[in-house]
Formats: sequence, structure tokens, C-alpha cells
Amino acid sequence: MRADDAAPDVESPAAEAPRQRFELDDRGFREVPRKYRKFYRKWEGKDDVLGPNEVLCPVCKVVVRSPRELRPGDRVYCMACMTRLRLAQLDGERMEGQVEY
Amino acid sequence: MSGSAVSETHDLHAMDPARFREQVHSFEFWFGAVQGYLEGLEYGHRPDTSEAELSEGDRDRLITALCNYCVGETAALEGAGGLIQIAPNRAAKIFLSTQVVDEGRHLEVLVHRLGELGVADAEAEIQRRAGAPLLEFKRRLLELVRGGDWDAAIFAQNVILEAMEFSVFNAHAETADARTREVLQGIVRDERRHLGFGENELGRRVRSHPGVRQRLVGIRRELDAMVLRTFEDSMAKLGATPARRADLARSYRLAVERLGFA
Repeated sequence: MRADDAAPDVESPAAEAPRQRFELDDRGFREVPRKYRKFYRKWEGKDDVLGPNEVLCPVCKVVVRSPRELRPGDRVYCMACMTRLRLAQLDGERMEGQVEY
Repeated sequence: MSGSAVSETHDLHAMDPARFREQVHSFEFWFGAVQGYLEGLEYGHRPDTSEAELSEGDRDRLITALCNYCVGETAALEGAGGLIQIAPNRAAKIFLSTQVVDEGRHLEVLVHRLGELGVADAEAEIQRRAGAPLLEFKRRLLELVRGGDWDAAIFAQNVILEAMEFSVFNAHAETADARTREVLQGIVRDERRHLGFGENELGRRVRSHPGVRQRLVGIRRELDAMVLRTFEDSMAKLGATPARRADLARSYRLAVERLGFA
């Protein structure tokens, strides 16, 4: 789900600012078992704007989605290529998933 | 449904890393994955996708490309089969057995596509059209597998060969006729698992055995020229521009950089 069509559900962990929550829907990504499909979507290329709960897998170029807003230090999995990613802040607001072996 | 399954469905990313690895290497995962994009297809394309009318030149170029893909897939099939014997753990052996099935399917659908294009004797046609750089790469890959060198063989097979196939098939699918495109897209979806397995397996090996990196830097130097010649040859056969060809080697270079073999 993109940022603009998400319905945030704010939670309040003690140590950090609240994160937006996202209700994930099936975006037609069919390369993983059915119950995991909502966690992924196809990348539409350079003009594809990622939501605050999304990151691009650098190995296989699939968009990985999370039910919560992503922040530097978070871990996500790309099931399409079996990769574990750790989020890092690149510059300004941009975040990158770095492969964690 | 167990408590853990409920939690994974709610947030997959909270899964324990060891459980994640076990799961994605399994046949159980493989069945659920391939079912999503292969169900309803016949020999890799939808049964009602019509055959495009190709000029004689386009058909000939397509047959040459497909013949070379068959060489690459045969190398991958034989390589993955051999790797099972030397894989260092059970999960890797199980994953490789799913890869063998994928590679066998790829070879089958590509040979079938050659038949649809009017090639009567695919074996003879493949032998006649196979490019020298790819044959050389295949020979070296199988030599590494037969030599029992897990690190070098998985690097050649699941990082180099899979990255080449992933890039070339993706690029070709963009301009291919509808049937060929569907066949290639199905293969690319499988290749994501293969190249991810290779990079992650090697990444873990390098982390736990620091000497592996230096040795693979040497293997990479040896194979690099061969890999780039193979890329060049494949893309020239498809009529790609030099800029496009350079771009295609990118995913291989990026994987090599991430692993620290650059």
C-alpha cells in the first residue's frame, strides 16, 4: 500500500516516535506462496515512488512491503530472492535495503 | 493455524532469521511460489497466446538466442545437479533439488519453443548455433562442480550464470513476441530464487570463513573476461545496442560488489 492510500493506525512504542501502521493488500505479486503475497509488489521502474512502509530489494528488484512504517535499522525479508535486508538511511529521506548475510 | 503462522501472516518480517531460511529453502515454499505463476500455462505460456508473425530474419535471430539459452540452461541443470552432492548442509541440498527441477523445466520449455518456431531437430540446431564463449563458460563451470569446489562452483553457477540469465532474459522479454515473452518471464521468476540463494549462501560462507573471499576474488578474475564475452555475445545475437549491453552486466557487477569480490 502506498503512503497516499494508507490508513495510518498509530502505535506508541516508548523509545521512539509513533509509527504508521498499514493494512496490506494483495498487489498481484505471485512469486511467493499466497499467504505472503501482500508483503510484495512489482517495482514499476525509476518513477515508482515507494511508500514509507516499502523498500526495494537490491538483489532482485522487487518492492518489499511492511505492515508498519520502516525506519533505519529495521529488518525485512525478500522472499522472492531469499534475502534478509537491513534498512539504512542514504541521504535526506531516502532509505536503502542492505543485504545482511 | 498455529500462533507462529498467525504472526507471520500479520508481519512476515518479524520471523526468526533461521526459520525464514529454512522456509524459503523448502519444497513446501517452492510449490506455493511456482503455483502462483505457472498454473494454467502450457510449456511456459498461456495456451491461447497466439503465435506472432515474424520476419525470416527475426525468426532466425530468435532461434539463435533460444539455442544459446538452451546451452545456458543445460549448464545450469547439470551444474545444480552436481552441486547437490557437495552442498555443505541439508537445507542447501533441498533448495538445489528445487533448482534442478526449475532448470529442467526451463530447458524443456525452451526446446518446445524452438519446435513451435519450426525447428525439427533442436539438438542439432543447438550444437550448430551455440556461441563459443558460453560453451567455454559451461566447460569451466562443470569443471569446478566436478572438482568439488563448493565456493567456486556456487559462485560460477548461482551468482555469475544466474545473474547473466536474469539480465539477458529480462531484457529480451521486453522486446520479444508474446509467447517468447511469457516463457522468459516465467524463467526469470525462478531465477530470482536461484541468484538470491547463491549470493546469500556465499555471503554467509565469506562471513564465517574469511579466506574464502580472497580465493573467490581470484576465481572472479579468471571468469570475468569469459562472463563479459558471454554477455556481449548473447546481446549481440539479440541486436542490443552497446549501451544496453553494458547495462546488462550491471546486476552481476553489483552482486560481486556486495559480496566484496570486486
